[in-house]
Amino acid sequence: MPEPEKNRPQRVLIASSHALFAQGLRSLLQSRKQTGVEVIGVVSSMEEVMLALEANNPDLIIVDYDDETLNRDEFLARFVEGEKKLRVVLLSLNEAQEALVYDRRTLAASEIDDWLEEWTYGVSNADGEKPDVLVSVKEDNRRNPMKHLIIAAILVVVVAAALIIGMTQVDLLPVAASAQAKPIDTMFRIEFTVIAILFALIVVLMVYSIVVFRRKRGDMSDARHVEGSTRLEVFWTAVPLATVLVFAYLGSWSLGETTRADPKPLEVNVIGSQWSWRFEYPNQGIVSTELRLPENKQALLHLWSTDVIHSFWVPEFRVKQDALPGGGDLTRDLRITPTELGTYTVRCAELCGLKHTYMESPVIVMAQADFDAWIAAESGLSVDPVERGGKWYTTYGCSACHSLDGTPSVGPTWQGLYGSEIRFDDGSTAVANDDYLYNSIRNPADHIVEGFQNLMPANVAADMTDAQVSDVIRFIESLR
Amino acid sequence: MSDMTMEETKRPGFFAIGMLRGVLFLIVGTLVGMGIVTGVRAVMGLPAWSPDAAWTVGAIFGTAAFIYGVGALNDWLKWANGVETPEHPEAPKFSGLAKYLSISFDHKVIGVQYGYTSLLLFLTAGLFALIFRTELAAEGMQFMGENATILGMNGLNFYNTIMSLHGIVMIGATLLGVGAMSNFLVPLMIGANDMAFPRLNAFAFWINIPGAIWLLCTLFLGGFDTGWTGYPPLSQLAPLGMQLFFFGVYVIGLSSILGSLNIIVTIVKMRAPGMNYFRMPIFVWTAFATAIIGLTATQLIGLSFQMVMFERLFGMGFFTPSEGGNPILFQHLFWFYSHPAVYVFILTGLGVISELLPVFARKPLFGYKWVALSSFAIAIVGFLVWAHHMFTSGMEAYLRVPFMYSTLLVAVPTGIKFFSWVATIWEGKLSFETPMLFVLGAISIFLLGGLSGPPNGVVSTDLHVQDTYWIVGHFHATLFGGFVFPFFAALYYWYPKFTGRMYNERLGKLHFYLMLPAFYVQSLGQMQVGLLGMRRRIADYDPNLGIETTHLLITIAGYLIGIAVLIAIYNFVVSARRGEVAVANPWRSRSPEWQIPSPAPEHNYDEQFEVVGEPYDYGLEGSVFVNMHPGPAKPEMPAGAVPAAAD
Repeated sequence: MPEPEKNRPQRVLIASSHALFAQGLRSLLQSRKQTGVEVIGVVSSMEEVMLALEANNPDLIIVDYDDETLNRDEFLARFVEGEKKLRVVLLSLNEAQEALVYDRRTLAASEIDDWLEEWTYGVSNADGEKPDVLVSVKEDNRRNPMKHLIIAAILVVVVAAALIIGMTQVDLLPVAASAQAKPIDTMFRIEFTVIAILFALIVVLMVYSIVVFRRKRGDMSDARHVEGSTRLEVFWTAVPLATVLVFAYLGSWSLGETTRADPKPLEVNVIGSQWSWRFEYPNQGIVSTELRLPENKQALLHLWSTDVIHSFWVPEFRVKQDALPGGGDLTRDLRITPTELGTYTVRCAELCGLKHTYMESPVIVMAQADFDAWIAAESGLSVDPVERGGKWYTTYGCSACHSLDGTPSVGPTWQGLYGSEIRFDDGSTAVANDDYLYNSIRNPADHIVEGFQNLMPANVAADMTDAQVSDVIRFIESLR
Repeated sequence: MSDMTMEETKRPGFFAIGMLRGVLFLIVGTLVGMGIVTGVRAVMGLPAWSPDAAWTVGAIFGTAAFIYGVGALNDWLKWANGVETPEHPEAPKFSGLAKYLSISFDHKVIGVQYGYTSLLLFLTAGLFALIFRTELAAEGMQFMGENATILGMNGLNFYNTIMSLHGIVMIGATLLGVGAMSNFLVPLMIGANDMAFPRLNAFAFWINIPGAIWLLCTLFLGGFDTGWTGYPPLSQLAPLGMQLFFFGVYVIGLSSILGSLNIIVTIVKMRAPGMNYFRMPIFVWTAFATAIIGLTATQLIGLSFQMVMFERLFGMGFFTPSEGGNPILFQHLFWFYSHPAVYVFILTGLGVISELLPVFARKPLFGYKWVALSSFAIAIVGFLVWAHHMFTSGMEAYLRVPFMYSTLLVAVPTGIKFFSWVATIWEGKLSFETPMLFVLGAISIFLLGGLSGPPNGVVSTDLHVQDTYWIVGHFHATLFGGFVFPFFAALYYWYPKFTGRMYNERLGKLHFYLMLPAFYVQSLGQMQVGLLGMRRRIADYDPNLGIETTHLLITIAGYLIGIAVLIAIYNFVVSARRGEVAVANPWRSRSPEWQIPSPAPEHNYDEQFEVVGEPYDYGLEGSVFVNMHPGPAKPEMPAGAVPAAAD
């Protein structure tokens, strides 16, 4: 920064109608005459300023900020933003006998001396283009950092509390209907609380800054030069680090709770196919399209898929597990201990193609006695192939795409299908006899019925025995 | 966009415009490719017409033909034949739109090309979103049910296709938006006159166009129903559109890799004298971190998609259990890129936030080095967290806890950014022009996105929220806060730098005040319905979940966001012609790109500037960041300050 020309004194004009202010400042400045400051006059109105300007050409105008007879906005407008740019200092002596001379710098009366020295030696417009505007606002709301932090801290607490209370008033989670849901919901509550606190912390500090630290109109100056603080950075690195470690620890604990194994669970094979679920109770010899579970007994689900990846999810039970194609090593387990009687829905959570949306099946939690009765009733298979075929129709998911009442769906209806003449999309025809139906189930892509698309999963019937396919054909025959 | 500095302009003939020539070549190339594969199959005695094979080979030929047709290979081919070409080509000096539709090696033109392509893809993907949001406004199927036929597809398949396309086209748009910002800004900010490899830069941009064309073609080729994740085995069974989806992403990924390479070399080799790494504008740091991820991770998604393409074409059983493959393997490969990719999307946006806050707060960026290094910390930790996408996938159960720890660690460097931003504006002197509004909005939304992360990162709660609308809400908040809002902030802020005019401030503010509350409604709504049981990617939902009203609100909010974006586009287009002529440095920034005229001159800086101070010393009297005219006698000019001679 170039120093002011040594041989020319800095010419200061004081604008104030208060004698004490003007005289006091004048004597202060004059006592420093050897440093090159020359007070060229004291004026008390804008008109006098203009006259003094022409006559004396001052380098600096010091304006008494407290003097209400002077229009300080006019000073700013004329000398800072206007054509004739000059150095203007607004000086304020407030009640505590302190002088505010520089943006957000509060000087005791004794420090004014240093300021003057700094100004006379150091302050000069470096590039001569833009005046450095030294605005001092009497009620500078930036000047008390602690006050702002305290107010903001109180607001953070209030907003965080409001958010935490507010979240209890909104539906956020479905009923918790399994033992596994309890540790998970505990974890959710901890997370939501921490989220509310951190959201309040950052947003309140931001909004507070937006409201309180907004730039004054016409203020072209910069804010205080603060580069950073290593102490603060270390602090807000260490605290989040500790927080996430605690979180991860709690996460491990709650995960452990959800996988806790009972010694004698009820085993159920859960098999996903596009776009239906099948539930096998291997020890009871039952196959069902509904998942029925006894209350307060752990069910150990073995999951797999016959085609693409599906995912088993009952929102009320919280836990979720993908069912992978391939079986064997790729079978995955999931433990659920239902705790609330009721009817829920298992919803496929992994996009599995066309009718993924509708891959839902009922899940019924029953009292143990009711469950036992259901097992007993389901165990026997009918001797009537038509009845068995009707069962396979739902069990193996045929019902997802083929109606029984004549409504066309993704696939042709089965009503009146048997023995009818089928027209294919290549114009050829065939009669729907046993051979045709068997082939259509085993190799659906061989012939596409006119008006339909090739959407039937190729291996939908991979798990069906020939006897079961035959039952299904008898069932279709019964619908003619 | 208008261009006022061009002295002599020429009205181009129809085929002089690179884009049109390229598309014509693409069509011819595709047909040739299809013909070849069909002919070869016929000769081999196979059924001649195989849609998957014909379209794949056609797309490869078409893409190559496009690149040749647009002129991206011309100089390289000349060099191969020993013909010298000028450093900057004597491209036909087109005016206005034609300039941006033809090849240029100027990083600023390429930046604008990335920008408008990005915005066009945004509008397209946004339109897809509004279509399926309309379907979701009420329970039951409105117009995409299984009995409807749209574009030859079953209604549900159409739903799945546009839902999937919304995702991947948005991702493409985001990658291009990131490319727009880093291409336009990095050379300007570091005092280079262009990128290190201008021809590679043009190549990397233009290859996106066929990529985007193939992605959008899927709509007319049977669609694909896998979401943008393309998990096998579903993607092996999916319609023909799947193959072109994979190929389109593959091509856009190639662009990402090449663009990243270029950015890294430019930053390492071409900084102005005196600009050590800790004196770079903070945006350059994030572009650097982003490029490192883009260069090293993108191969993985390319590879995984290529493997599924080969499964479909040649029956290689990489992911098919019955042939010894494993479907989980795909997910590892896929997420090994696709998680770091999220940081590709957001880091440059966070860089914009850090870059703009000091200017509008008139205060130094708080903890510059911490903010700069936190970008690298995010990038590095980002490589170690991919399996948190797979907590319920059936990968080995013991992997879940370590990946939970690594995932939550991302919160630490991200937290540094938040706290440093707040400390930057604290006791600042804030003003609220449109770019600043978008920056502040971005912070609050990114905060929502960040804070909704731990429930997904903690395994036990992820068992509930995985594959639900909670994830959708979390992801959209992260991307809106980390990319969309900062991208708009950047477009408004640097608008005078590429047009020479100011945008309309009132329309800018209207855009902001519409989009911010609408986004909050949308995102919080998505999170709530997700917790209550709404699965991702479904076309219809169970009214028993009690989420119908919220869904209607989400749809309305989505439309408001759409309207807000249209207002922005209108503002950009009209202001380019009729906006107020911008002053040289409207934001009183210290950054070098604002010390030269707007729009930036063709070769950026007449004279190499010298960095003599810190970038963000606002409020430090007399401090200077760059000395624009360092004077004649500078003894050592680093060789790297001159654009590399060859690429």
